[in-house]
Amino acid sequence: MFDFLMMILGLASFAGCIALAIVLVLKIGQVSQLETSVNNLKYTLDEMDEQAKLVVRTDIELNKTQEELDKKVNGLYTLQKLTRSISSTLDETQIFGKIEQELVENLGFEKAAAFLRNEFTGNYIFYLELNYAEEELEAIRQFVQAQSDAFHQMINNEKGMSSVSPQVDRQLREQIKKTFKVISFVISPILPKEGNKGFLFVGSTDPDLIINEGDEELMNILANQIGQALENARLFEKTWQAHQELEKRVEERTRELSVALEEVKRISQRKNDFVSNVSHELRTPLTSIKGYASILLSGKLGAIPEEVHKRLEKINKHSDELVSFVNDLLDIARIESGRITLKLVPLNVRNVVEEVADLLAVQMKEKQIAFRLDVDAALPEVLADYGQIKRVCINLINNAVKYTPGGTITVRAAQKNSRVQIDIADTGCGIPEDAVNNLFVEFYRVDSTINQEVKGTGLGLAMVKHIIEAHKGTIWVKSSAGAGSTFSFTLPVAQ
Amino acid sequence: MIDIGVGVSLEKNEIAASEEAVRQAKSRKASKEKIDLVLTFSTADFSSVALIKHLNTFLGDVPIFGSNSSALITEKGIFNHGLVVMLIGFPEGVYFNTAYTKTNEFATSTAAGEDLGEKLLYGFQNVSRTLSFLLFDRMEESGAQFMTGLQSKLGRSFPCIGASISNPALAGRDSLFFNTTILNNACIGILWGGKFNFGLGLKHGWKPLGKPHTITQAYDNIIVSIDDQPAIGIYEEYLNYDISRLKKEFKKLSILYPFGMRVPGQQEYLLRNVTSIGDDGSLVCRGNVQTGSSVRLMISTKETCLEATREALNEAKTHLASQSYRFHKNDSSKMAIIFNSFPRAVSLRREIKKELELIRETLDPETPIIGVYTHGELAPLLSTSYHGQAYFQNQTISILIIEA
Repeated sequence: MFDFLMMILGLASFAGCIALAIVLVLKIGQVSQLETSVNNLKYTLDEMDEQAKLVVRTDIELNKTQEELDKKVNGLYTLQKLTRSISSTLDETQIFGKIEQELVENLGFEKAAAFLRNEFTGNYIFYLELNYAEEELEAIRQFVQAQSDAFHQMINNEKGMSSVSPQVDRQLREQIKKTFKVISFVISPILPKEGNKGFLFVGSTDPDLIINEGDEELMNILANQIGQALENARLFEKTWQAHQELEKRVEERTRELSVALEEVKRISQRKNDFVSNVSHELRTPLTSIKGYASILLSGKLGAIPEEVHKRLEKINKHSDELVSFVNDLLDIARIESGRITLKLVPLNVRNVVEEVADLLAVQMKEKQIAFRLDVDAALPEVLADYGQIKRVCINLINNAVKYTPGGTITVRAAQKNSRVQIDIADTGCGIPEDAVNNLFVEFYRVDSTINQEVKGTGLGLAMVKHIIEAHKGTIWVKSSAGAGSTFSFTLPVAQ
Repeated sequence: MIDIGVGVSLEKNEIAASEEAVRQAKSRKASKEKIDLVLTFSTADFSSVALIKHLNTFLGDVPIFGSNSSALITEKGIFNHGLVVMLIGFPEGVYFNTAYTKTNEFATSTAAGEDLGEKLLYGFQNVSRTLSFLLFDRMEESGAQFMTGLQSKLGRSFPCIGASISNPALAGRDSLFFNTTILNNACIGILWGGKFNFGLGLKHGWKPLGKPHTITQAYDNIIVSIDDQPAIGIYEEYLNYDISRLKKEFKKLSILYPFGMRVPGQQEYLLRNVTSIGDDGSLVCRGNVQTGSSVRLMISTKETCLEATREALNEAKTHLASQSYRFHKNDSSKMAIIFNSFPRAVSLRREIKKELELIRETLDPETPIIGVYTHGELAPLLSTSYHGQAYFQNQTISILIIEA
């Protein structure tokens, strides 16, 4: 029984061992699987860690790029703001005042200074200082003066320097840092084309600030802008001074001209007075001459020989001409001096012209000239002095008759706004172009063959012009040699 | 209702800036006379002594609390030169006390913390304490001990929010403003209590990268070794930079890729900037580190930073909504105080304006804003699940909304 039990126990133990062995084998498999999973997980974690390192490194690069970009954008924005600001003034002393602390800080610096070198004395003069105490400024001024050769060379070379420039003498670089109390700096030359040149200094006490080429470029652009602004300011100053000089000269000339004009007026008045006096003095003996000639011609003092009669008639005729001439002179003088009073009344142009045409009808007939009057029936009346306007018409139509060897004289009148324009056109010999402009000048006569035959004083048209202008009208002529002439004048419409 | 007026001046000299900012702030306040507290921040280019002197002249005898900083956050924009002043008149039922301690005058940081705690508690015997608010400098190594001392006096039942203004670039020009005094090596605090609500939100926006590593040796704010290798090795390995290049560019690299420490029970990683590299390859951090902590290198993008700001704002609003006092909409007003880590500005670059726009859009339009760029922020990791612990954090935006 015992043996049997032992055998059963043995079998059971065996079976148990087999079962345990099976479980163990299974567990070992699971452990192995878990180990594999852990290893895989660890491997994945390591892989992810490696990827994380890549992410960090990429992120650093991106950050650097972003930082550079931000710095550039910020710098350019500030530069644009500064440029606009310094360009807004044309006062040399105000240009540097536009460079404010905040703008310098936006460019990444805290301190700034600017000097211009006096061309004549060689002294450097402060034009800008930001974030410096009085005693620091004095030390800087002395340093710049002491190192003037180095700064002058930099200006002449047109090339700036910075705390990282390899070409700058190390000792000078350190001295600049020490004197200007900065850790990093950029100095850019200010180079206007003319006048005093100098340099702009910006610096920072930030130990982390790294100056790069971009900073140097930015400051060079700013210094260029300052140079340009100085140029503009100096140019403006020059132009302004030239303008002032010109104004002064114009004023002087105007004053001289005014004096000359007054003199001309005074002389003209004296001339008028003289003409008037002489004319009066001439008219009295002329009247006597004409009177005596008429008495002799009438035969009241006895018969006179035919030859004497002829001469006396000539005396009479020439006396009439002289009286007419003197009268014209007197009239011109009177009109010019304003001594004549126009009796302005509403006039019918047609009537006046017809009256004149009647007066000159004989002469026109003799020279076979056809007279045409083209006046609208509805033409309004003009406001004018009857006697004076009749005189104008006589003068102009008589001239047309004189210079038209045969042909047509046409008088037209039409309303032009508030004026009536009267044109007296002939088909005569016309006037050379170069003579047209002088036609209304006193004593002017066209130098032509016909004028050697046609008598005249050169006062008729001058007087006509004076009369028309006294009526606030205008007169002009259109003509060319051989193609006839048209004299036109305007008179105000009677309201 | 809190009666608030904020004034901002960009004037260059201290008198003109103080006069303008105070005049603006007063003009925006309902009651020009009732000023209980003045929060003020300036940029470090002003002379702090002159500024405080003139602020006191223009404001009279009122508590002044603030600091200078690298840049200011205001409703009008972010300024790297200027002065912002917030004049606050609290309604009845809101209590506060201000105090300061000079941290370098105590044998231990814990003792300094206890000193501030005791001073803040003055007058608070029968008033429930709700929030403490701190500004400090030079406590990167000892912040944890200081908080232990402070909380041993104030208790851990309410959160503490604060910021470090220590900016290495300012080279000693950083100052804390306390009434008529300029302080260095100090911590200034406000303890609040009574009938008011607050909402706190903070986030950084950095995400873990690569596999976790273990700090195998550290003390205070120095990591000696990671995975039994000199701590610098992790940066050498990930960035593929040699040590000389690392030393040269470390300030920026440390901002872009800080360490993230896993805090047990918390979702958010605690960030640590590295401020310098020791000769033995150890890393000096801005804030305490512990041996055995699991750390990972962190990375961010502008989008994740802005998303963090959005999350912080939502968290602050959610937290505010969960508070006990129920004010009628017309019977209360809000104010927002922002501590934004300076390195975030470096990371966000030109997007910092977008961040301010986001803050303005998310907060009620009539909520006045005041803030500064800081160099370490003190706050719970998550305000909505506060467990009595305040952490010194880096690269975080902290938004505090106060309603009364």
